Amino acid sequence: MNADVLIVGGGIQGCATAYQLARRGVSVLVVEKDYIARHASGVNAGGVRLIGRDLAEVPLSRQSMRMWHTLDEELEADTGFRAKGLINIAADDADIAALNDRQQKMQALGYDHERIISRDELRERLPFVDPTCVGGAMSELDGYAIPYKATNAFRLAAERHGATFLEGTELAGLRRIGEAWLAATSRGDISAGTIVNCAGAWADRVAAMIGDNVPLSHAAPMLMITARMPHFASPVVGAVSRQLSFKQFENGTVLIGGGAKGFADRAANRTRLDYAKLAQASRTAIEFFPIMAKASINRMWAGLEAYMPDNLPVIGPAVNADRAFHAFGFSAHGFQMGPVVGKVMADLVLTGASDFDLSAFRIDRYDRKVL
Amino acid sequence: MSAALTLSEHGRSALVLDRGVAPGGQIFRSVSTSPLPDRTALGPDYAAGAELVSAYTNSRAKHVAGADVWHIGEDGRILYSHEGTTKQVEAREILICPGAIERPMPIRGWTLPGVMTAGAAQVMLKSDAMVAENAVFAGSGPLLYLIVAQYLRLGVKVAGLVDTTPAENYLKAAPLLPAALGGFGLLRKGLALLSEIRRAGVPVYRNATDLAILGDQRAEGLVFTSDGRQEIKADTVFLHHGVLPNPNMTRALGLAHHWNEDQLAWHVTKDAFGQSSLPHVSVAGDGGGIVGADGARHEGTLAAMNVLTRLGHFASDQRDRLAKPRLAQLRRLARFRRFIDRLYQPRPALRLPQDSETVVCRCEEQRLSDLRQGFEEGARDPNALKSRTRCGMGPCQGRQCGPIVSGLLAKWQDLPVQDVGYYRLRSPQKLLSLEEFSQFQTVVPDEGGTK
Ligand SMILES: Cc1cc2nc3c(=O)[nH]c(=O)nc-3n(C[C@H](O)[C@H](O)[C@H](O)COP(=O)(O)OP(=O)(O)OC[C@H]3O[C@@H](n4cnc5c(N)ncnc54)[C@H](O)[C@@H]3O)c2cc1C
Ligand SMILES: Cc1cc2nc3c(=O)[nH]c(=O)nc-3n(C[C@H](O)[C@H](O)[C@H](O)COP(=O)(O)OP(=O)(O)OC[C@H]3O[C@@H](n4cnc5c(N)ncnc54)[C@H](O)[C@@H]3O)c2cc1C
Repeated sequence: MNADVLIVGGGIQGCATAYQLARRGVSVLVVEKDYIARHASGVNAGGVRLIGRDLAEVPLSRQSMRMWHTLDEELEADTGFRAKGLINIAADDADIAALNDRQQKMQALGYDHERIISRDELRERLPFVDPTCVGGAMSELDGYAIPYKATNAFRLAAERHGATFLEGTELAGLRRIGEAWLAATSRGDISAGTIVNCAGAWADRVAAMIGDNVPLSHAAPMLMITARMPHFASPVVGAVSRQLSFKQFENGTVLIGGGAKGFADRAANRTRLDYAKLAQASRTAIEFFPIMAKASINRMWAGLEAYMPDNLPVIGPAVNADRAFHAFGFSAHGFQMGPVVGKVMADLVLTGASDFDLSAFRIDRYDRKVL
Repeated sequence: MSAALTLSEHGRSALVLDRGVAPGGQIFRSVSTSPLPDRTALGPDYAAGAELVSAYTNSRAKHVAGADVWHIGEDGRILYSHEGTTKQVEAREILICPGAIERPMPIRGWTLPGVMTAGAAQVMLKSDAMVAENAVFAGSGPLLYLIVAQYLRLGVKVAGLVDTTPAENYLKAAPLLPAALGGFGLLRKGLALLSEIRRAGVPVYRNATDLAILGDQRAEGLVFTSDGRQEIKADTVFLHHGVLPNPNMTRALGLAHHWNEDQLAWHVTKDAFGQSSLPHVSVAGDGGGIVGADGARHEGTLAAMNVLTRLGHFASDQRDRLAKPRLAQLRRLARFRRFIDRLYQPRPALRLPQDSETVVCRCEEQRLSDLRQGFEEGARDPNALKSRTRCGMGPCQGRQCGPIVSGLLAKWQDLPVQDVGYYRLRSPQKLLSLEEFSQFQTVVPDEGGTK
């Protein structure tokens, strides 16, 4: 088998990259060791969030947000995207101070998508919030989508443009032979002109096959979802400094996150939950929204996610090999970035350059000059 | 109860967490507190359960009634709901005995109000002395006949018994009969039930096929083919065609399972003593593979003997000596079970939905056509299909649709069910109140915490 471009990993980054390349006529093959959207991209919280992004990520994230707003038409699919807005709740005056501080930095850079809201507006938009909360910040563009559907929407659109997806196919080794990459997979050899590493929590292993070392770690953020409840919250809810994050879907179920982590066993493709931490997340949810005491948890799970030490992804060319590119390490907020990452990767593969400044995302940003 | 009794006889205590309001499990449900004026209507086996329950109640076992276990971790941590809070215990050895659930029968209309399982009929009878007059019973297998007989003994009118046992099953099962004779007593009990039903004048329709529930908003009866097209009007239809191991706890724990072709069911992979793929976790009774009430008692005892060995109470040769007669009896019961499994093996057309509009997943209202569409869009695996269609995501955690989904994906790909696999399940195994969960407590068991 061969292809112009071999993409390793069938998460949202791999699928979006495949789509952007295939629609520009490139022959693309995606290998996925499990099935498409089996890992982070299929089981995440679906938050499509621009608010609160690291300043280095804002340009990419803003572009991605624009793409989300027209993604269903573009992919001719239902990604479940809803722009319901997102509110980060300020629990106290220290939170308000932090928001004011950020507001100044954002304004200096000319960004206006985040807006501080008063206690009254908070109460108006979230009538069930605990009355002690003092205000918050809001982004109207934000919302959520359905992760499994969105990732597969990219996959199906890519297939319509001729991309091939090989599920149950694991990349085991890579060799550079002349101008081509020879990939050994669990289903035989594949030769390709270019490699794109979108291997999520396993991406450091693929990077090593390419020749790049990277200080990637992985962890298992946990989520729980309730049975249907009467509608009480339209926007997605987060908090400025507390471990609180939830959204109520249109069917009434409430997805509760907050960043608590379980135990990750990536070799076995498995995660284990830390119930004491989930119990803490339940307490926090009830504290901020007393109505949640009436909720019933239906399912709990965790996904394997890749983290960089600075919580910023790696996006860009390999440093120790030609014709290889990386997009991984999204540190628990990469779902929102999927659309733009596909575009950036396709530009890098086809032109060697991107419209965006990718210097903060270099793979070698942790390489030390001296020992 | 049998395992706890064995442990108790050897001076060990066990913590028994049971969701039920009183000890007894499924078969001896409410035996010590039966609301019926005369519990002998439920049969002599039921009354005999009172003896086991009283021995158990007087043993060293610590029984916690109303303890709903919603998580068992491979680290030995158990979380359960009890009196409005989530409690945690840690156990060195764990024995899981979640019993059986009824095999779903996804015929057209099976999710309408008024359609219930025969097991539900029995639970209502045993716990609340409630019955449904003039109901239709449809399906096959000893439990179906038993509940009809229990109804008749209480003087409740039954509109009809629609027996779906395929005529050819009698031929297929016949060669197994000689080997099953060891269990002749049991077989005779089954036959006696059927003739009791016929003598009572209940219309019995045999070799029934093409079943469908009548009615749009709620059940109004049953149509089927048996010597021509038949129709019985009734407000209540009870369906039953066998039981399956209750899978959620053993699955969520990640124990190895395999497909058993005789029982057309997933079994927990375990050794003769019930030890699973996790050495400190054993499984006994119907929850590991259907063995029946007598088999469950032997398996519980054997698992306890093995646990005693693992805890250093006695050596493995002593365990083996003690176990020998039990193992022999289990083998005898297994021969009978194979006969029963063959005889009452359900028709494929009743195990898997035939009509594209038939609901497969009650919780998320997914129909056969929705699943087929998900399959055609690329979902080949039960988990991929779940993510795509939401089938199996509801509060029952796939208990109902799981076996159907594995079966459909196997059929559509012409693959063995074993290769298709099952849902990847997670705790909690029931809806868990957020408020309860937020009050999380650790319980320290009295003696070593053997469950
Ligand atoms: C619980 C949870 C909640 C989250 N919530 C949000 C949120 O609300 N908003 C948000 O924006 N982000 C969120 N995220 C983060 C987001 O899900 C991820 O950043 C994003 O999905 C990463 O996409 P990916 O394609 O890089 O990785 P993945 O989806 O992990 O895909 C990588 C794929 O590569 C495959 N692979 C790895 N090695 C090989 C190999 N050698 N051969 C073949 N295939 C291989 C893997 O099997 C995997 O399927 C969350 C993550 C988790 C876990
Ligand atoms: C509906 C039904 C009716 C039956 N009727 C008869 C009959 O009339 N005669 C007959 O011979 N056989 C009958 N059987 C079969 C018989 O009940 C079983 O063979 C026998 O009870 C198996 O014993 P067991 O210990 O494996 O399971 P069970 O007796 O079912 O015991 C399992 C116990 O586990 C508890 N449990 C399950 N999950 C949890 C949890 N998460 N947390 C806490 N506790 C939990 C249950 O409450 C129950 O007490 C019936 C089976 C079913 C399903």
